[in-house]
Amino acid sequence: MDEDVAALALVFAIWALLAAAYALVPMLSMPDAARVWGAGAAVFLALAVWVARSRRRR
Amino acid sequence: MAFDGLVPALARAPARDKALLGSLLAAALAALAFGVVAGAWVALTRAGAAAPAPENGYRLLTSHGTAAFFFWLYFAQGALLLALAMAHGRERPALALRPLAWLGGALMLAGFAATQAATWIGTPLLYDAEPDLAAENRASALLFYAGYLGLALGLAGVALSAIATAVAGKRERGGAPWSAVTFGAVAWAGLILVSAVAVVNAFLPAALWAAGAGPLPADHSTGWHILFHNLQYLPLMGTVLVWYALVRDFTGGGSVFGERFSKIVFALYLVFVPPTSLYHMFLEPGLAPLVRALGSVLSLFVGVPTIAAFLVIVISLEARARAAGRRGAFGWLRALPWGQPAADALLIAVLSLALGGTFSFVLIQEKLAGLLSDTFFVPAYFHFLTVGTVSLTLLGGIAHIVPSLTGRAPPLRRLLRALPYAIGAALLVFAFAGVAGGLAGLPRRVLDAGYDGLAPAAWRAVSAALGIGGAAMAAGVLAYALALLAGLARFGAAAAPAPAREAAPDAAAIRHSAWSAPASVAVLMLAIYAATAFAFDLMRALPVQASGSGH
Repeated sequence: MDEDVAALALVFAIWALLAAAYALVPMLSMPDAARVWGAGAAVFLALAVWVARSRRRR
Repeated sequence: MAFDGLVPALARAPARDKALLGSLLAAALAALAFGVVAGAWVALTRAGAAAPAPENGYRLLTSHGTAAFFFWLYFAQGALLLALAMAHGRERPALALRPLAWLGGALMLAGFAATQAATWIGTPLLYDAEPDLAAENRASALLFYAGYLGLALGLAGVALSAIATAVAGKRERGGAPWSAVTFGAVAWAGLILVSAVAVVNAFLPAALWAAGAGPLPADHSTGWHILFHNLQYLPLMGTVLVWYALVRDFTGGGSVFGERFSKIVFALYLVFVPPTSLYHMFLEPGLAPLVRALGSVLSLFVGVPTIAAFLVIVISLEARARAAGRRGAFGWLRALPWGQPAADALLIAVLSLALGGTFSFVLIQEKLAGLLSDTFFVPAYFHFLTVGTVSLTLLGGIAHIVPSLTGRAPPLRRLLRALPYAIGAALLVFAFAGVAGGLAGLPRRVLDAGYDGLAPAAWRAVSAALGIGGAAMAAGVLAYALALLAGLARFGAAAAPAPAREAAPDAAAIRHSAWSAPASVAVLMLAIYAATAFAFDLMRALPVQASGSGH
């Protein structure tokens, strides 16, 4: 995998895990944080897909 | 064509892209000038040298916070982001999605106008804009919130254009990996997009309430804390990327650790942003003790990406300089181009970061946060970061690229070289007075801390120093902004071509020892430990326990 795509995908994975923890762990229970970091995970997933697709289309 | 430097690359950009960068930079500098004038007025009010009506005093404070902390920083970051993505990302520098970038800039400008108009015709809400304050004047509050939402949408447009530019460059190069700067720009743009989401998360419910289309937000402060965490990290990430790009221009070479390692360091910012945000919640009464403890531990990682980037940049600089024959303990510093204003700005920015970082680690300790968060300790430490580190870096970066946009060097070069030192000296007065005042309980967000003569004598002395330091700092920043605005307006002499710099080869550089940066970090760690221990001792000596609300 392209190193740029891999780095962006790693960021997606970490942010998605954090968002899930904020949403699902009762002790944390921070819906705002889950919403923002979850949206952030989506942003970095979209970025990784965008970059990966641009490589295939060259 | 090999990358030949930011200035030559930008000089080859289409005129319409240079016009966009120039417009964003002009808006940034105008916002900064407006914001620091308001800030100086507030500082003089603190010192008793000015006496605006109370409501106007809070309007000045709101204008200062919104113009300087939001719009200056984001106009400037938007412009520099586009510049880096275009110059480093493409063989022939040009923006992709150009109309979206223009639309983004226009939305940001409209947002700036809306927040300032709302501040001066309605209730001053300060920069966190709690809806509770706006109950009596919802119409102006709606305008204020619309201004922030305009900023968010505009930033998203600019960031998407920067990402599309980098992606277009990757496609043109047959899918080859990005340079470290291009990857850093994309990561920075990604964090800008997330911050735009955080703005919407924090202020859309308030806007709907102000429009009569929703209930009063019950948890505005939580949304603000999450946004504020991003707003601390985002400009720092941009700052470090600008350092990296400028030092690359100054020396002609990148990191001796290689492009891939630099990408890992830039990615670290994104890895550490979400987990370290818990410390903003320390003052929430319902937070579980285990989460408090977790937040305390995680907060210690908040400086890791910045320290890692500092190490990469300074070790590379020192190793290349030593490989090129620089001798002596600090002889490598002479490799920097001291005739250029940006070099002086970067020096003060690095020193300010060390001081601001030291005090920030005091504040994020869970036991101290409640005692210090409503005191002047907070504005004192964050002016080291916002003015000394981030603003001076952005100003230095702008000074560096203005010749590529206009063909002329900014006027008053000697003044621009001297101003960072003057601003730094005034910042020391302001910030150390504020830290001392904060440790003595001097409150923030009040215009007059005299309390009809009942305040402690120390507060009066500290307030006078805050006024002098704050006004002098604002005057220095204003002068810098006006000189750069004159440069954008094509005042100044024709720019001389940047001297070609040939860096020592990586293989030669890595054989040389570079100890300055690790030694600096060791000193920083000791300073953080000493400052935190001192603050704990001071607080343990207090005869009372106190608590406050969030910063």
